[in-house]
Amino acid sequence: MMFAPVIIFFIIFKYVPMYGAIIAFKKYNFTDGILHSPWVGLDNFKLLFSTPTTIQIIRNTLALSLLSIVAGFPFPILLAVLLNEVRRMWFKKIVQTLVYLPHFFSWVIVSGIVVTIFSQQNGVVSGLWESLTGRSYPFLYREGSWLAIFVGSGIWKEAGFSAIIYLAALTSIEPSLYEASSMDGASRWKQLWHVTLPGIRTTIALMFILSMGRVMEVGFDQVYMLQNSTVSDISEVISTYIYKIGLMGAQFSLTTAIGLFESLVGLILVLGANAIARKYGNGLW
Amino acid sequence: MKPSLGERIYLIGVYMVLTVAALMCLLPLVHIVSVSTSSLQAVASGRVTLFPIDASLEAYRQLIDGTPIVRAMWNSAYITVAGILFSMTFTVLAAYPLTRSYFIGRRMYTFAIVFTMLFGGGLIPTYMTIRSLELINTYWSLWLPGLVSVFNMLVLRTSIENIPSEIDEASRIDGCGEWRYLLRIVLPLSMPVLATLALFYGVGYWNSFFNVLMFINDPAKFNMAVLVQQMIQSQTMLSQLNALGSSEQLQLSPEMVNAAAVVVMVLPMLVVYPLLQKYFVKGVMIGAVKG
Repeated sequence: MMFAPVIIFFIIFKYVPMYGAIIAFKKYNFTDGILHSPWVGLDNFKLLFSTPTTIQIIRNTLALSLLSIVAGFPFPILLAVLLNEVRRMWFKKIVQTLVYLPHFFSWVIVSGIVVTIFSQQNGVVSGLWESLTGRSYPFLYREGSWLAIFVGSGIWKEAGFSAIIYLAALTSIEPSLYEASSMDGASRWKQLWHVTLPGIRTTIALMFILSMGRVMEVGFDQVYMLQNSTVSDISEVISTYIYKIGLMGAQFSLTTAIGLFESLVGLILVLGANAIARKYGNGLW
Repeated sequence: MKPSLGERIYLIGVYMVLTVAALMCLLPLVHIVSVSTSSLQAVASGRVTLFPIDASLEAYRQLIDGTPIVRAMWNSAYITVAGILFSMTFTVLAAYPLTRSYFIGRRMYTFAIVFTMLFGGGLIPTYMTIRSLELINTYWSLWLPGLVSVFNMLVLRTSIENIPSEIDEASRIDGCGEWRYLLRIVLPLSMPVLATLALFYGVGYWNSFFNVLMFINDPAKFNMAVLVQQMIQSQTMLSQLNALGSSEQLQLSPEMVNAAAVVVMVLPMLVVYPLLQKYFVKGVMIGAVKG
């Protein structure tokens, strides 16, 4: 009945590409096609793990996403906890509206803003830096500051929206706990440490585990738009590499192998993360 | 009860941090608007911070006359509106049957669908599939690969499952058929979720970048995201070149035109966003319940 088109969609656009991934074990060429290209076994994978460039991009992928996750993790919690303390609804509403907003911007917008602000010639930040130190500094062209901008822009974009999940968790804390603790003379500060944070402890643990399951995913858009040739040693990641070498350079088999490797590691990480999360009684499924 | 001194300091701290956070989200936008509406001299000397200096709309005139931004905007709008329709239709068609207990094999189908969220063939095989279907350079290549977001589908499924079964039974007794039940009962009851999902799909299509970059080669078919990105990219090169020679005769810097482009791109988002805000918070909550 109505489900038939859905099945067809998933087969054509999800399962056919999965089947197409067999070219990772072949030496694909255009004339022979997917089916008739010669098998090469694990050669593509051997090449993958013996080339310094590919090892570097795998390392970069892990480093950038780990850094983003770890550095970005506390911010949504902080925002949610603080918002929860606010009793003036109009203030809460305004802050929420503003901090959720960047989530809906594309990376084009964010990178446009970043380039404008950090531009060496007439960006605000560079101007400020110059008036403080007397020298101009190419923020986007030094590895350290680029990394900071990369991680910072991710936090700027997503911290507010990620706070929603913690806000939801906070509403489920028993109000009587607050009443009881204030009877006992606990200050707001003490309540924060002994009631609020323990109340969302499982959510925090769960979110952390789940985000570790996504370590292999670094958004293509963010890296592609913020990177430049000066910092490519640390900024080239799997997805941008597949795009440049695979699509632009038509190295289909090799890059499919990297993609497959990425998907497999991702799958293992997600399953592992879920297994751990289940122990907290909070698995995804 | 009057708050104690420590309590007041605490609250002042809370409000201050939140104010700073909110301003950090707002001020970059204000800055971009100012850059796009100031004069070249003011921008080049770095005096523009939050308010436009020597306000002019020259950058916007240049943007509209000198770049294909208007066409790109139409393309974006077309991709977004049609994309929302296709995606919503298929998401409903996927979610509703999976909630029917008499639908044979639904556990298997659910697994097969969720599996695609966890594991995929990857970029290159997807590209090759699209290419072999000869969808390159058509907007179908943007709509079809991401037609159903599994996550959104699960959100909708959870929400349909929460409709009391008494309603179902009552309408069956009154002689209501499958399609009619879906269209007249299930969908109206799921309106808040549907609005949220439409917003998420819409934002996704409006912002879609990578797919356009991969599948669309004809510059006339570019959407705003790709066009603006290319402008920014070429500006970074331009400004490096400009640093060597002088280009004082220009009335505008490319940065200002780009800032204007960013503002134009943000604008529709700002218009739709407040209308939908009350829905998406609810929608995210439903998604948080395990599916």
